[in-house]
Amino acid sequence: MDKISIPIGPQHPLLKEPLSMKIDISGEKVLGGSLRLGYVHRGIERLAQQRTYVQDLYLIERICGICSHIHTTTFCRAVEALLGIEIPPRAQYIRGLMCELERIHSHLLWLGIIAKHIGLDTIFMHTWHDREMSLDIMEEISGGRVLHAVNQIGGVRIDLDQEHYEMIRRILKKLHSQVEGLLDVFETEPAAMARTKGVAPLSTELIKSYGVVGPIARASGVNFDIRRDDPYPPYDQIDFKVITHSGGDAWARTFVRVEETRESVNLCESILDNMPDGEVSVRVPRRVPEGEVIVRSEAPRGELFYYLRSDGSDKPARLKVRTPTLSALSLLPIQLSAINVADIPVVLAGVDLCVACADR
Amino acid sequence: MSSVNSEYLIKMIQVKADFEAEIYPGIKGDITIRIPAEQIISVVEIFLGNFDYCHLSAITVQKRAFDIENIEVFYNFWAGRSLSLMVELIGPSKQLPSLISLIPGADFYEREAAEMFGIEFTGREETPHLLLPDDWDEGPPFLSSEENDG
Repeated sequence: MDKISIPIGPQHPLLKEPLSMKIDISGEKVLGGSLRLGYVHRGIERLAQQRTYVQDLYLIERICGICSHIHTTTFCRAVEALLGIEIPPRAQYIRGLMCELERIHSHLLWLGIIAKHIGLDTIFMHTWHDREMSLDIMEEISGGRVLHAVNQIGGVRIDLDQEHYEMIRRILKKLHSQVEGLLDVFETEPAAMARTKGVAPLSTELIKSYGVVGPIARASGVNFDIRRDDPYPPYDQIDFKVITHSGGDAWARTFVRVEETRESVNLCESILDNMPDGEVSVRVPRRVPEGEVIVRSEAPRGELFYYLRSDGSDKPARLKVRTPTLSALSLLPIQLSAINVADIPVVLAGVDLCVACADR
Repeated sequence: MSSVNSEYLIKMIQVKADFEAEIYPGIKGDITIRIPAEQIISVVEIFLGNFDYCHLSAITVQKRAFDIENIEVFYNFWAGRSLSLMVELIGPSKQLPSLISLIPGADFYEREAAEMFGIEFTGREETPHLLLPDDWDEGPPFLSSEENDG
């Protein structure tokens, strides 16, 4: 049968963000594909060099609309390392709480999308309803549902009071019971099993050679999580499980994300239980001493990498950001090979694409 | 964190690749090893063969100043700890051997470095732009002078 190339994107109903793909098919079989980024490339790394560290916080928060907090957390950690300061323990815990709420929000968003693509519209509505709960908490404590502006260099700009604790615990309890039922659906619903089990499997060797990280890697048996392997506060003080699965298929990726959501809810509760008292920020100088630093954090989609160099001024001399989506995207053409045309949406959704992150 | 330290790495490179690498002490939170550009393939092969889990996190490229011609390229790995290989491209030639035969995931990182800094990665197919517009003809954005900044 003849080969046909189908262009998808950059604007396409299947995609929530602009990405251009060319998928080669023969009959019902996909032969392969290629992709093109850049439609939301904003030149953020270069722009960061032209702004002060404080202005950069606002810029960097806008790299991504899903994981905005982890970007500013990683940037702040890099600047604070060059400044040689340690932020107050309470600020570390508040940052950690926001990171885990962001992970819940990101994973539930993804679960909704995969459910939608495999025809489970009810689950899509349930997960997005549940996701609202994590957004509600973030909005209540920071004032923002998408851009939270919680971080500042030297700590955080918000504090939590007793009312916040009660509200967060109440919502987390509800979220806990909702997430409990999610895995049951993916383990028992025939449609969910049929559309994910054995679909687009990724071997451990392939994951390692492409440097893919995060839930996709953990679903292929790669036991790597920056929160545990290069721990930073508060993860160095709190016990948590790193979820892995050896399946490597779309179902394993779903399993890992559902379990990680549950673990993040537990982590939020542990953070609240162990929240230290005290200040939430320290004063820092405007100029950052000369130096270079590499900082990694575990974003919802995996290892987030920042390199920062200061020349002693109040603006970064170089900021390099590598987001986890970029490594996952490089594997997409391989994933698309030898699948059925009907599985394309499941494979695309399985990557948990964040084009804004990859483009920067 | 892994017990890998800089002395061990320098010795490993000396034994297996037969040249003397040196430590670049500048980057906090990282062991950075400075190597000649032509040794990049052999050292990456050593890394991949010696660590159970070693992935390329990023390729970081920078110029220290706009009026300096030299470009620094850091291959940032995670191998149980943060580990980087630093290569300096001195003079007008901006060529480096491509890593994609060893690490297919280096593809996007190399393409970004090529577009943003004008580095030519040898031993790989020429590819269309990954990030910049197809008709971009203003040269690598990171090499333009500060005066051109918007």
